[in-house]
Amino acid sequence: MPPPAATPAGPPHAGAAPVTAGAAEPTDPLEPWPETVRWQPVSRDLIWVEALRLGAGVFVVLVGLGIGLVLTGHWLFVLGLVLTVLLTLWRLTVIVRAVHAWGYAERDHDLLVRHGLLIRRLSIVPYARMQFVDVTAGPLERAFNLATVQLHTAAAASDARVPGLRPAEASRLRDRLTALGEDRAEGL
Amino acid sequence: MSVDQAAEPRQRLHPLSPLLHGAKSLVVIVAALSWSTLSRVGLGWFAVLVAVLVLGALVLSVISWYYTGYHVVGRELRIHEGLLWRRTRAIPLERLQAVEVVRPLLAQLTGLAELRLEVVGGGKTEAPLAYLTVADAVTLRERLLTLAGRTPAAEAVAPTPAAPDHATAPDHATAPGQPAPGGPPAPPAVPVPGLPGVVIGAGTLPGRHLHTVANRDLLVSQLLTPQAFFLPFGVAFVLVQFFTEGSWSFIAVASTLTAMAGVILQPIRRVLDDWGFQLARDDAALRVRHGLLETRAQAVPLNRLQAVNVTWPLLWRLKGWLRMRISVAGYAIGDLEGANHPDRLLPVGDLATAQRIVAEVLPGVAISRALTPPPARARWVHPLARTALGAGISARVFAVRSGLLTRELVIVPYARIQSVRVVQGPVQRWLRLATVYVDTAGGLSAAAQDRDVHEAWALAAELTARARAARLSGRG
Repeated sequence: MPPPAATPAGPPHAGAAPVTAGAAEPTDPLEPWPETVRWQPVSRDLIWVEALRLGAGVFVVLVGLGIGLVLTGHWLFVLGLVLTVLLTLWRLTVIVRAVHAWGYAERDHDLLVRHGLLIRRLSIVPYARMQFVDVTAGPLERAFNLATVQLHTAAAASDARVPGLRPAEASRLRDRLTALGEDRAEGL
Repeated sequence: MSVDQAAEPRQRLHPLSPLLHGAKSLVVIVAALSWSTLSRVGLGWFAVLVAVLVLGALVLSVISWYYTGYHVVGRELRIHEGLLWRRTRAIPLERLQAVEVVRPLLAQLTGLAELRLEVVGGGKTEAPLAYLTVADAVTLRERLLTLAGRTPAAEAVAPTPAAPDHATAPDHATAPGQPAPGGPPAPPAVPVPGLPGVVIGAGTLPGRHLHTVANRDLLVSQLLTPQAFFLPFGVAFVLVQFFTEGSWSFIAVASTLTAMAGVILQPIRRVLDDWGFQLARDDAALRVRHGLLETRAQAVPLNRLQAVNVTWPLLWRLKGWLRMRISVAGYAIGDLEGANHPDRLLPVGDLATAQRIVAEVLPGVAISRALTPPPARARWVHPLARTALGAGISARVFAVRSGLLTRELVIVPYARIQSVRVVQGPVQRWLRLATVYVDTAGGLSAAAQDRDVHEAWALAAELTARARAARLSGRG
């Protein structure tokens, strides 16, 4: 398999990560190191949260189209209604699959977060790089007893957000992250 | 706290500051009133309007000056300000990323300077202390830098995060013995790094002089930009319009000229900003000084350097020139391309110069390393630019190259990697490709585009491992 780009000799670090990367398996972009990483799924209730969020938007659109239809009776509004419903159904399946695709894994030194269906993303964020942890729970999330944990680093591009966690799991993750992040020693 | 405050009294800014602020607001006021107001109310009323507004601004500046004060308490710089909304900012100096002494034109005439501090997480430049006398500004800067360089860990035993840089210092200590690098007008190096009270003379920087950019090169380089190329066409267009129509009003002409000025403003600003560019370093900090109308003297601690960006603009390749920028955490992220973004390492120069500077900034790193291009099937995504892409791992840094026309190289030391991301879009999935991003705190991400999926994973694993190793060794 193709070696890591232009690596001169063997890696100088002494077994810093349990990585036998480049092995034959990781063809699935969401399953990079199946033998070393145990992915945790997010709660399925997140589907409801996302669906309700979608529903709120769709509701507004439907009401608007409905009013238009009642007032004018134009066939374009019917078409719009049908399209909206179809689009909503498709979005629902996407939401279900996207929530299934969302996962996180705690390794010894870093947190892995993967998500996305069309564009698949995996973030590897070392605990030592953590600046602060956000735990948020909006009204909708609270109704389903969920919370979101987000890890912030000094890089704005870092993307380590884990939605759909049970509050207990969220606070466990938060405490673990802050505990592990404690060995930071430098300003940056 | 009160004990500390007793230790060092609060200091005011220079009494001339409100005057300078007032003068600065004059420009803003005139710009805000704009051409159309001028033509509507006439010159006399316009002048009165401006005078009233400037007077108001002046009074406000005096009040704000009266209530503004700063002092160093322990390892913090505290800045108090505000009459109605009192604000006290405490800036922990271990978080300090860079210090800059800026001297706008007016400040140069009056012998004053502004001190700007960059702190991580600040959306904008934190705490500009405007204005101080130059001597005060330089003294305070050196004091802050020495305080910032002394990390809390240093008070204990362990080597500080700055240790890798200090560790390499002996290598550099031999460097001055070598034939003095390039620059003909090399100012004498002042061998008192970090000593408070070293007042910078007119043309010298403290520390060992590294490079001076010839102003002629700077001018030529800015003429080799698209804006400068299109300027003649723009002028011709306006003139043709003017002479054929003949009915243009004052506003139309003025507005067109303003718009044109906006277009060519960038090259002109670059020239003005980078005029007389000098680079030097002492033990722990990189010192940069440049500017014609507004002189800026920046000090960036070397261990705060997050990434180096090397750019070869298309037209500059005729001359074999390139530009280097550094990325430092704390500078406003949205302002990466801004002309005001103080991140210059080399405004224009050839490869040899760049090589030499990079070797100083990131020891053991070379620019023109062979980077491996993505696999052949990536040409479906990048039909022309595939060979321009590349990524490479070396002992201390990760380097990626991109761009067909404007070639760009980003170098990130492993120790500065904040996080690693692997992203795969639909087309990439089909072609079994993926892009690896390396995020740094400077807002700059190095993206190794369209690598083979296996290689991308291997790269991500390798980078996380090396980043960790670098972090650990950096901590000692």
